[in-house]
Amino acid sequence: MTAINVETAPRPRTGAPRRESGTLAGRLTGGLLVKLLIAVIVIAEIYPMFWILTNSFKTKSEIVDEPLWSLPGGLQWHNYVDAWTTGSLGHYALNSLIVTVPSLILILLLGAAAGFALEVMVWKGRNAVLFLIVGGMMVPLQMVLLPLFTIYFNLNISDSYLPLIITYVGHGLPLTVFMMATYFRAVPRELFEALAIEGGGPFRAFFSIGLPLIRNGLFTIGLLQFFSVWNDLLIALTFNVDSKLSTVQVGLLHFSDEYGSVDYGPLFAAISITVFGTLAVYLILNQQVMRGLTAGSVKG
Amino acid sequence: MKHVFGNKKAIVTFLLPALLIYLGVMVVPAVWSLFLAFMHGNPVRGFEFTGMKNVDRLFSDPQAGHALWFTLKYAIVISVGQIVLGYALALLYVFVLRKASTFVRTLVFFPVVVPTVAVALLFNRMFASSPQEGPVNALLGLVGLGGTDWFADGNKAFIVIVIMDLWRTMGFFAVLLYAGLIEIPEEIMESARLDGAGTWRLVRHIVLPLSMPVLLATVIFSLNASLKVFDSIVALNNGGPGYQTTPLNLLMFKTAFSFGDFGYGSTLALVITLVCLTVTLFVFRSSRRDLTKD
Amino acid sequence: MNLMMRTMPRRASVPIAFAAVTSLLLAGCSGGKDDAPAGGAKEFSVLVTTENTQTGKMFDDLKANQCSDAQKQLPYTLSQTPSSEMQSKVQLLGGQNALPVMYAGTQSLIAPKGDLQVSGQVLDLKETFQKLGVLDQVTPAAQSVIEQLYAGSFPTVPLQFNIEGIFYNKKIFADHNIAIPTTLGELTAAAAKLKAEGVTPFVASGKTGWTISRWLGAILYSELGPDALQKIKDKKAKLTDPQYVAAAQKLQELGKYFIDGITNLDYDTMNAQMLNGNAAMMYMGTWFLAAVNDPKQNKVGDNIGFFGVPGIKGYPANVGSPNAVNAKLYNDGVGSWLTCIAKNWGSESLKKQGTFSGFKVNTPVDSLPALTADIQKKIDNAPASVLWFEGLFTPKANNDSSANAAPLLTGAMSAKDFMTLIQSDLDAEA
Repeated sequence: MTAINVETAPRPRTGAPRRESGTLAGRLTGGLLVKLLIAVIVIAEIYPMFWILTNSFKTKSEIVDEPLWSLPGGLQWHNYVDAWTTGSLGHYALNSLIVTVPSLILILLLGAAAGFALEVMVWKGRNAVLFLIVGGMMVPLQMVLLPLFTIYFNLNISDSYLPLIITYVGHGLPLTVFMMATYFRAVPRELFEALAIEGGGPFRAFFSIGLPLIRNGLFTIGLLQFFSVWNDLLIALTFNVDSKLSTVQVGLLHFSDEYGSVDYGPLFAAISITVFGTLAVYLILNQQVMRGLTAGSVKG
Repeated sequence: MKHVFGNKKAIVTFLLPALLIYLGVMVVPAVWSLFLAFMHGNPVRGFEFTGMKNVDRLFSDPQAGHALWFTLKYAIVISVGQIVLGYALALLYVFVLRKASTFVRTLVFFPVVVPTVAVALLFNRMFASSPQEGPVNALLGLVGLGGTDWFADGNKAFIVIVIMDLWRTMGFFAVLLYAGLIEIPEEIMESARLDGAGTWRLVRHIVLPLSMPVLLATVIFSLNASLKVFDSIVALNNGGPGYQTTPLNLLMFKTAFSFGDFGYGSTLALVITLVCLTVTLFVFRSSRRDLTKD
Repeated sequence: MNLMMRTMPRRASVPIAFAAVTSLLLAGCSGGKDDAPAGGAKEFSVLVTTENTQTGKMFDDLKANQCSDAQKQLPYTLSQTPSSEMQSKVQLLGGQNALPVMYAGTQSLIAPKGDLQVSGQVLDLKETFQKLGVLDQVTPAAQSVIEQLYAGSFPTVPLQFNIEGIFYNKKIFADHNIAIPTTLGELTAAAAKLKAEGVTPFVASGKTGWTISRWLGAILYSELGPDALQKIKDKKAKLTDPQYVAAAQKLQELGKYFIDGITNLDYDTMNAQMLNGNAAMMYMGTWFLAAVNDPKQNKVGDNIGFFGVPGIKGYPANVGSPNAVNAKLYNDGVGSWLTCIAKNWGSESLKKQGTFSGFKVNTPVDSLPALTADIQKKIDNAPASVLWFEGLFTPKANNDSSANAAPLLTGAMSAKDFMTLIQSDLDAEA
């Protein structure tokens, strides 16, 4: 447990321009080999994207009957129409957003605050509490569902978005707190101490030094938690008593029938909409955040 | 100084909201389930205390034994794979691709965004043997090895599961580790380079130790996640053939939710928690030894 | 978890946490609230599996037309849960006394002595239909299946009625000079001939294991008679008895006539093999007609035919997934809905969905596709039905049979091991 406190805190990065290391890579493996490797990686990732997209334009028999690499015979645009109506995508995407955004904000804010309390603040027993929270990563989610269902039911909130949001936050916190504590450990202690000498309190230390310095980590964890909440099916299924509150992932189930048959065309159309939609949002956000990061890095 | 960072009110404000939600959502229900592990029944009938009956059943249940063995095998292979591939990718982003890494990083991260249903279907088709031969079997045929039915045998199915899950998650781990690497100050690397440290030595003696906290956290996360593997296997082959690739978590889910046996399901969940706890403690211990040695 | 509690920093938190846990546990164990709304249901709430797309469409249709009066009394609402979680969802809701008016239970919960039955949440539909004067709207075949399935009681609304048998490709049979087999021996001979002449005789899906295990039921009925599986239920025989193991052995021997790479073949690929004319035969239920009647999927047109399993009188039949009615919410509004369903469901589902139900077809439906009409006739004229292989199994036995069907067929699991596993599941539950 003490391992958590190993002092390896590096100094913060300064504005020193990064040295070009093209020659380093060249020396290491030979440019050609690296390029080849990157090409393989890119193909291994782009082809599946392409496959999902082409499948969304195929008929069911084309998907089931023809080889993996075959192209659609015609463009089945109605797959998209079916996807939109059968999967109630518009409605469910809105539900997903209503659930995901507050969950994400709470996970990051509460997680960072708790990480700060456990890593930067000094008090007896903080290691024990950190371990108690890390323990949450060990509990299989499936097992807390039955008691939670009963609790939410008796609290009379099972007909709302609250069970989902509360559960996502509670389930997302262990990893977040753990990672946040890890990131705070990398922030040099002197920075906080300097602020304290100037007369700043712990809240200023958190908001004006702690949070900006772990921006990278916040972004990374935010990304991971976003996708774990957005892609969750189990929690959404268990606590959704009312179909009106269903999320996108639950909507995707509407393409299967009772005996095991799947309506592949519309399913892939729905997947394409959600996947490429989220990807677009991610790219835009990523650019913004990256710009923010490079701009902020001079400050450190 | 002490009083600034020892401020009780601040500690409570920072910690309490997270702690309360966490206790309510994870700890209380988990303890509740712990009680169920020694009971039999369901929410309609109510539960009755049956002592060690579920535990006895656990020790004589060949399916549980096999699931435990499979889970450990899977977790070790996947965690090693995730960390090695993820770290290699992160190094690639930082040292080779540098500014241009955004594109590749996003691409490799992409599978995380895709619902498991689609990933599973893709790998089903990739490794299919009939009615249409998938690309993998076609390739094996080309090099004269001949195709095989990948899903008829537990060991072969395991290979497919490992390839699928590593493809699916390596980008995720690369991003996690990358966040640790870019925090390493440039001048430390710079001075190491000026000292004439070779690339390998630079990685081994500078980069690795400096990224150790994030690496350690990632290892623990990876192990705990893979010990609870669930949806990718459900979607790919539902733990088949028979029970050969069924991990503990899937067995537990089926027992509790599909068979309605919450008592024994909770017993299996308890096993998962204990395994995770043991493994995590083990990692903490051994890492401490490593680090003090350095 | 205990260990973590012990490492909590402040001693005071331990008693507090335990107090919280205990009070919640008490709340949970006391079985929740016992306050079903006075006067019964306020709406006609229906819970079906997510995969069941048909029932919702039928209700939407009925509430706007034939059942508009019932709709005025009690507005209809629908909620859905995937079949894999229906069991737990119904238990959770049942434990809180919060089940909707009509819900897809699991068989074991709504059967006599089942937990929901015991807690008074299952309506006796025979009595209710009788009181409403519509018992005669339920077909005798459906009644007989329900009574076999539920030991004489009537806890489910038969919104569906399916028979099972062998769908075959008429053209392949004609091209290879094969007549419809009347015994298992002839069936095997036909398969051998087809295989020798380069045609896949049987297609099934290992991933959807029941498409294989139903064959085992077929062989058991054919070899041991129509009470073969009832005897297992009544504990007069065991699946590990030599004649039962021999039947599993026989299925394993048929394994070579099934499509290659069967273990992870999925349900749609299986259907496509039948509908593109690659495979000669497939064991399946009449719900397959929806795909047969869909020209986008069916590439062989009128060439799909249907015959009963050789050696069985009648057909294995089912009434779809259970649809129980919550006794605690029953009132006149629910009665109006049930009356309307009994009178209209049969013709409407045949007309709009092309599927059969356990209710009489009151308005004749013309212009049915040939095979649908043919099967309707077979159902009408069928002697007593039998249940399907897993009909009387517990959920775990059902799952194990499905999961291990492909290994049994490919020989990866021996016939004896297969039967031993299922029998031990059945014994464990008792």
